[in-house]
Amino acid sequence: MNSKKIPIDIKNIFHVFAAMGNLTFGGGNATVAVLHRDIVGRLSWITDEEFILSFAISRLSPGSNYFAFCVSIGWLLKKFPGAVVSLLAASIPCSLIAALATAIFSFAQSNQIIKSAIHGAIAAAVSITLVTCWTLIKPYANKASSIRVAMILPFTFYCHYSLELSAINIIVISALFGFFFPENKK
Amino acid sequence: MNALVLFFILLKASITSFSGLAALPIVREELVIKHHVLTDTQLNQAVVISRSTPGPVAIYLVSIGYFVDGFLGALMGWIAMILPSFLVIPLIYFLGQKAEHPRVKSILSSVIIASAALLFAQAIPLAKDAIDGYLTFAIALLSFLLLLLTRIKTHWIIFSALLISAVSVFVSL
Repeated sequence: MNSKKIPIDIKNIFHVFAAMGNLTFGGGNATVAVLHRDIVGRLSWITDEEFILSFAISRLSPGSNYFAFCVSIGWLLKKFPGAVVSLLAASIPCSLIAALATAIFSFAQSNQIIKSAIHGAIAAAVSITLVTCWTLIKPYANKASSIRVAMILPFTFYCHYSLELSAINIIVISALFGFFFPENKK
Repeated sequence: MNALVLFFILLKASITSFSGLAALPIVREELVIKHHVLTDTQLNQAVVISRSTPGPVAIYLVSIGYFVDGFLGALMGWIAMILPSFLVIPLIYFLGQKAEHPRVKSILSSVIIASAALLFAQAIPLAKDAIDGYLTFAIALLSFLLLLLTRIKTHWIIFSALLISAVSVFVSL
């Protein structure tokens, strides 16, 4: 589609995170998927492995997973300046929107057009979230990792959805599982 | 309430949570029960706002800040929300270097697989809430296919979904 190589510099990092990180409804995970399509798919700034590494590590970090993810990607692209710029670009516009939305909340709640438009965007966000699931699982959908996927995926889904175990507990249990049961090389 | 006190309360909530709304109990205990500067209704409204605006759910800290102290409070909420993110740098520095170590690789792959399951679990209530008719079902299905099969920029898909849903209000009148 766009064959022109876009260089990794502070200006472009700011542009990508500001544009992609502040247009997506449906929470941080949906926004992560949008960034994946742009940073890995369109721009090829980082590899799928680096993207997945950042995603996994941001899950282990305190605070918002999404902003930790942005810092992590920014760090991989341009070390500390990249981390700061990606965080500011990803957080300032959506924070301003949230502050303004808080100020006009009662009006927006009673406006049928605004409500309907947001509803439609969230329906699209459901698909974005599902595609993110596939993006994350795809590298492990091979023979070597299939048993691990078959064990962890249904177990964690059941624990979170049916038993309502918190996300961080599930992440810690999975990390411990990974620590005690490392994959065989072949 | 002093803006600095508000900042430290929101920072405490943000830094001790590991995902979106996990900080809610601390926020409620401090601002609703202890300091009486926020109501339960405003707390719920902040969550609704975070789900109805772009960006992560953690953005509700900005709304809470606004409810407590206007735009200065929102600024405090924003700083408290983003500051803990820098703690990821030592993690990425250390684990990034050891990423090829079999045990680290195994931990990361297990976390990723678990994250995918968590995402799928989170998509279910989101879908129940958002897909409530033929139109939203069609939007979700079409978006899914376009995302999977084409390289159309995601914001065009979101913008189209917004536009179609907004126009549908006039059509159904």
